[in-house]
Amino acid sequence: MADNRNEEQAVVFYLREQTYGIDIDSVLEIIRMESIVQVPGTPHFIEGIINLRGRIVPVMDLARWFGLEASEITSSSRIIIVEAGESTVGMIVDSVSEVLRFPVSCIEPPPPMIGNMEFIRGVALFDQRMIILLELARVLREEEKTALDQLDMNALKSYV
Amino acid sequence: MFSDVEMMVFMEELEEKIQLINDNVLLLEKDGESPAVIQEIFRAAHTIKGSSAVMGYEKMSRLTHEIENLFDRLRQGTMKVTTPMVDILFEALDTLKALKDEITGDAGEVDEAPVIQKIKSCLGETGGCAPAAAETPAPAGPVVSEQPDGTFKDMLQIDDILENMVREAEVRGYQAYKINIEVDPGTQMKNVRAFLVFESLQQVGDIIRSIPSAEDLQDGKYDQGFTLVLFTKEDQGEITNLLMSIAEISRVEVVPLEINGHVADGDTAVENNFGQQAAEVNETRKDSGDIKKAAAPHMEKTTIKTVRVDVQKLDSLMNLVGELVIDRTRLDRFSEIFEGKYGSDDLAENILEISNHLGQVTTDLQDEIMKARMLPVATVFNRLPRMVRDIAQKLGREIDFIVEGQETELDRNVIEIIGDPLIHLIRNAIDHGIEPPEERVALGKPRTGRVKLKASYVESHIVITLEDDGRGMDAAKLKATAVKKGIITGEAAARMSDREALELIMAPGFSTAQVVSDVSGRGVGMDIVRNQIEQINGTVELDTSVGRGTTFYIKLPLTLAIIRALMVSLGEQVYAFPLTNVQETLAIKREEIKLIRHNEVIVVRGRVLPLVRLSNIYQMEEADEERLYVVILGSAERRIGVVVHRLIGEQEIVIKSLGNYLGQITGLSGATILGDGRVALIVDARGLVKELGTEELAYAAN
Repeated sequence: MADNRNEEQAVVFYLREQTYGIDIDSVLEIIRMESIVQVPGTPHFIEGIINLRGRIVPVMDLARWFGLEASEITSSSRIIIVEAGESTVGMIVDSVSEVLRFPVSCIEPPPPMIGNMEFIRGVALFDQRMIILLELARVLREEEKTALDQLDMNALKSYV
Repeated sequence: MFSDVEMMVFMEELEEKIQLINDNVLLLEKDGESPAVIQEIFRAAHTIKGSSAVMGYEKMSRLTHEIENLFDRLRQGTMKVTTPMVDILFEALDTLKALKDEITGDAGEVDEAPVIQKIKSCLGETGGCAPAAAETPAPAGPVVSEQPDGTFKDMLQIDDILENMVREAEVRGYQAYKINIEVDPGTQMKNVRAFLVFESLQQVGDIIRSIPSAEDLQDGKYDQGFTLVLFTKEDQGEITNLLMSIAEISRVEVVPLEINGHVADGDTAVENNFGQQAAEVNETRKDSGDIKKAAAPHMEKTTIKTVRVDVQKLDSLMNLVGELVIDRTRLDRFSEIFEGKYGSDDLAENILEISNHLGQVTTDLQDEIMKARMLPVATVFNRLPRMVRDIAQKLGREIDFIVEGQETELDRNVIEIIGDPLIHLIRNAIDHGIEPPEERVALGKPRTGRVKLKASYVESHIVITLEDDGRGMDAAKLKATAVKKGIITGEAAARMSDREALELIMAPGFSTAQVVSDVSGRGVGMDIVRNQIEQINGTVELDTSVGRGTTFYIKLPLTLAIIRALMVSLGEQVYAFPLTNVQETLAIKREEIKLIRHNEVIVVRGRVLPLVRLSNIYQMEEADEERLYVVILGSAERRIGVVVHRLIGEQEIVIKSLGNYLGQITGLSGATILGDGRVALIVDARGLVKELGTEELAYAAN
């Protein structure tokens, strides 16, 4: 299996007509949309929490994280449950297409022009397609968590 | 090297013996010398000495050897217990604990020499007999070196069967030994000692006979010792060493078994007999095998009763049970559907029955796992007598410390947290509560102050009470202090009831001690105590009467993972309020809500309470209903009313965290999964009340 080193496997999904890929090792499972319980006091891109077989898992809307309009939920919408570091998070995407195997050699670094692209690990040009590979650790990065921590009771106080 | 199991046995025994010495030294100090107590300590020290030497922990063995010497002297009456001696003993105990930590790797290298020196000087000072130094080089093979001070009673009767078996064994190259074993008279677990003996011997040979019988030995039904017949290829010394490595075996005698007055050491004449009696021998061998087989399972039952389990494993078990619950609820729904479709068909009824049974089993399973997470409060309480003694001595108090209900069990998380607040309260009781002995005598009270700590079950809670017969607290004085410190205004103080005044001691920055000592009186104590206890959903209350003493009542939940909660709904969403913070619920009409400036309030029994709408806090839509429900939450002296749409009822819920990614969210303390698989958010009632609630005290002042 010498191939393994030169090949990568990614879960490929669509979000607003764009093709993205996540390293298959960090994907725990892919589930259909289910009822999400909103959690107050969380950043705008957090949709809420779900019950994943007895485990509470937060779900984020990847589109809103990217700064796009909130996702429209359709029958093809999916939640990809990913794990990065200590966190397990669900990400809402428009649809999941396949698990793709492609040679490492076809991964290009992210183009330098477009501002802060830390969350992109690279772009795979494979089989006439362009797949944006996400750097999950960056998507679920620390700053977002501290932003959560900073939401304080002042926000609540204004409602009284 | 020693196996993990052996190591564990050693550590457990060590811990037990250290605790035993600790308790008894305390007794010694309190009640003065008593032969029983001295004997107890002597034995415990002796055991540690023996086992630590076997395990190769020389420092420990040296130290306990000195302790043993000291108590030997006390036992013989050539020395008397003195206060400095007790102090040295405690120091020695601390060193012993440190040595234990050194072994487990919890602490660095420990120097035992200074304390040994102290014990020795203690010995030299008073005793004046043989210098202790002469006795020191003993530890290496400690107990073996002891001279037997009497001969063993010969209980073994050699009959034909045994004789034949011995002969046969010798043919196969085994030597038969008669082994006399004597255990420490004070040993707690005679059956365990016997089991260990059997275990060790069966590794090197076969036990053919035992007197008393193996069954009796397993049940600990023997006096000082017992006799065994062993067939082995090992030599005498080897077996002696093996047996002496077992703790609390005080004496071992291994002698070759004599048959018909002769030592059977491979006599050739045996062979002649052998052929002739082969059949018989076979039969007896089978018999002996049966005895052993019968003995073994029984042994396991009586000795191996506990298994150590990682708490994480219990947690994941708990999660799995949670999943089972959810599946069961789903199954319930299916059976309903079946019933609707096929009427009261047998199949449908079967499913219902299965689902019910499953539900019962899951509930039981959950309970059992919860129980497995429990520890007796003794793990905390045991540390306290020593602390009480130290504080009392430092402050010149005389304290009789009584502990009750150590066996009461609590979730280990609760136990971890409860230690600090308890220490604080006990310190306060001794420092502020109990008067110095002279003062007590002058007041006509017994010279020795009494502090009683008790744990007991009350419904689904545990109540820990701490009672002292000291000064008690004077509400008027408390008020005056609080006013002086600017905690409340003079006006507020005047309106305050005595009960409320008592609560003042838990206000931040309140301390009544005139002098700031290093024991208590830093003015941070009581509010921290209350905080810590409330963190684990507990409550603190107190009762006091001037001149008679103070009692604290700490009410704790049995577990942290499961709480009782009031379930409410807001639109489609379900929220849970921890029941410990819920004071009461009210149904109100809309017009009962009043406005003070822009803030909504309601009046409950003449008291103005601020209102919060859950829908506002959680940015949900407000239902325009005529009838609303208010949940009144309270934490410490603050109160707040929370408007919700509907009350669902009380329920036990399993608290789950929101996960690392979301971390701590203001206003929420977690989430839970309901029976039908839906997720409910748990309201951080304490936080809410703290931020938004009004202090009753302040209100009283307005």
